[in-house]
This record gives sequence, structure tokens and C-alpha cells, in this order.
Amino acid sequence: MIRHFCAKPICLVLFVLLVLPVWSARADDFARLRKDSARISTITADFVQKKSMKILSKPLVSEGKFYYAAPDSIRWEYSKPLKSVVLSGKGGTKRYVSSGGKMVEDKTGGAKAMQIVLGDVAGWMNGRFDSNPGFTAALREGTDTLITMTPTGKSMAGMIEKIEITIFRKDASVKSVRIVESATAETRIDFLNVVVNKNIDPSVFQVVQ
Amino acid sequence: MKGLFFLMSAFLLTSCAALPTIQEPTAGQAKKSVACPSPFLTEKTRFIHAIDVQAAGKTKTVMIGVTVADPATRTFSCAIMSTEGMAVFEAVSGKEGVNVTRALPPFDAPDFARNMMDDMELIFLEPAGVVAGKGVFAGGEFVCRRRQERGGWVDVVAGHEGRIQIRRYSECGALERTVNLNGNSRDAYKTIELQSAGLMGYSLMMTLIESEVVRDIPAAQK
Repeated sequence: MIRHFCAKPICLVLFVLLVLPVWSARADDFARLRKDSARISTITADFVQKKSMKILSKPLVSEGKFYYAAPDSIRWEYSKPLKSVVLSGKGGTKRYVSSGGKMVEDKTGGAKAMQIVLGDVAGWMNGRFDSNPGFTAALREGTDTLITMTPTGKSMAGMIEKIEITIFRKDASVKSVRIVESATAETRIDFLNVVVNKNIDPSVFQVVQ
Repeated sequence: MKGLFFLMSAFLLTSCAALPTIQEPTAGQAKKSVACPSPFLTEKTRFIHAIDVQAAGKTKTVMIGVTVADPATRTFSCAIMSTEGMAVFEAVSGKEGVNVTRALPPFDAPDFARNMMDDMELIFLEPAGVVAGKGVFAGGEFVCRRRQERGGWVDVVAGHEGRIQIRRYSECGALERTVNLNGNSRDAYKTIELQSAGLMGYSLMMTLIESEVVRDIPAAQK
């Protein structure tokens, strides 16, 4: 029944968020972002996600934690309202969901779909922020820095209209991310407690309990 | 060709079954239960559930389901999203049928939307149709049987320990769906277990995240 679902847009945004705290430091063009991105070795951050849809009276709030270690290890973990974990690295991509109090591997294809996206992460980590053929990226400086990503092809048709990432200019931290799926649906992610280049235990990217 | 026809006929015949027999309640049982079990919604309500999708007894995935059900109009709005918040399916159902506004694979499969809305109706709304039988099963559970207007039958069973079971049968008596609810109370939809019968059978274990009564704003105030 449910073999495949694509969490690509949100995953893509999280890649962006991983990179931006460093990339965005006084960023005024993508070349500078590429240069700055080379400094990243690890990132740890909490996030709060607010999902708005026409069917909801108020946003559905999710919380979780995000880990990254260069060159390609990622742990993307939701703790509320439902627990789920995506691990990605050299061993491929695996997705786990909470069932009956235990974390079980989701083999429906969700992880496979995400692996395709995570394959782009190396490019993002190398600063090829504006070279993903699936999106055009525009950067605008104002009170805050705003990066707008717009799908170029049909693969995102009906899934996502644009992604907006707002960054504080004063400290280069991410202020908010807005994924616009349609006129009546969007996802906003706020990152908190971002820590860059602090050692992360390797088990974080291997173990799900 | 004759062989295939025979096999198909045999399969169809074996798919049908006699509906479980409803007996007259004993004097003691009749005193306990005089009304049909009715855990169903009485006002427009929004639910957010975690949906644990299982097949062959194993969890396949977990999704988030949002349902707005209105018993007065017998209409639904539904959305399914991943635990990461990606909406993969959105649809509304009313007198004009099902209108799908978003359906990513595999939720774009033929009949998925219709089957889903039928399941939602079975879970949340009092079955439409006339009461065709009322009494007890052999195990003593009180049951009301309704003949569906579009064919088939629905049993609503007040089981032991306060649990409610809803069963939908085909026109020829084959069990199609079984729904287990918490009970005949406000918490009826706290946990919902839906089982689909058949070779491609699956189970949905739905656990309530939150719910609220929906008060529609009059058009003049919008």
C-alpha cells in the first residue's frame, strides 16, 4: 500500500540548513558560500517545525535534532509528535519509525527516496549551493539575508513551489526556513542551539534506539 | 479457458460466506443492551492520528493522518503526511464524490482515495441504512446489523470489556473490514485498529495525537 513517499523537499532544506550557518557568514554571493562551506566538519542543532495546511486549525508542531559530520554522515531525528530517525552515510540511508515503543526500520521505500536526495549532500557540502539543476537559487541581502530556491524541472511539480531561507545578517545564524508547497500548505523550520565543529560521537550516525 | 473460469468461479464462491448468526438475547442480556452501540461522531471533529501501517503482522511505515469528519453532512477532509511533515495525500469527500487535491505515489493509485474515504466513514460515522438485525452473537456480544444502501452489511458489536467492533461485509457476506475502537465513550477514537481482509490485507493502527470539535464560522462572519 505504502511503498514510497518522498520527503525530498524537507530533506533538501535540512541540507541547506546544515551548511548555512557557516556559508552565510557575510555571504554576498555563492562563490563566497562555496569557500566558506569548506570549514564545516560537524553541526549539531535542535529544530522546531511548524506545518500549516488548510485542513489544520493551527500548525502541527514537530521537534527534533539534526547532526552532521563531514563528509557525508547525517542523523535527522524527530522526537515529537512522532519519533523517526534517518541515518545517512557511507552505509547508505536508513529510516526508522517508532512502533510499539521500538524503533523499526521503514522498508517501504521512504529511505530509498531520501538516499537519492542525500546523494546531493556532498555537492552541498562542497559549496555547490547554486549548481543543483533541480533548483535555481537566488540570494538577496536586506535586513536579513534571504535565499530563495525555486524548482526548475517538473520533478517537484505539485510538491513544492519554493523554499525560502532567512538568515540573520548580524550573526549569520539561520532565522527561519519556509517551504511553500502550495497556496495553502507550507512548512516552517526554526533552528535553535546550532553548534558548529564540535566533536560528535560516531555512534550517533550508526545507532538507533 | 474453462479451467480459468472454473478457478475464478471457485474463488468467488469461496470469497463469500454466511454472515454471523444473530440470536435473540436472553432476558438478562436484553436488559443490559437495548440500544445499538454507537461510538460514532455526533459533531464535526478534527483528528490527528499516528498511523502505523502493518502487513503480515509487521510495521511497514508510520504516517500522520489528519481527518475532519462531519456527521451532519457525512463529509470528510483527509490528509496524510510523513512523520517529517511532507503531505503526500489530500482529499475531500462529499455528496459529489471524492475530490483529490494532492496524491503523490503510491497514494495516486486507482481507488485509493475512494477506499480510504470508505474506511473513514466506517470508522467515524454511524452506518447509513436500515437496521436489519439486532441481538447477540454466540459469544454474548450485543450486535446491530445494518443493510447498507449501496450493498453489503455492517455489524456494530459491543464487545466485552466495553470495546466496540465494527465489521463490514460484502453483499455476499465476505468480511471486508474490521475496526476495533476503545469503547462507547469520548475516548472511542484514542486508538483505532482497522484490518483489511483478503490476500493483500493490511492493518492500520491509529493512535490519537490530538482532536478538537470544529465550529464552522458562519459565512457572514468570514
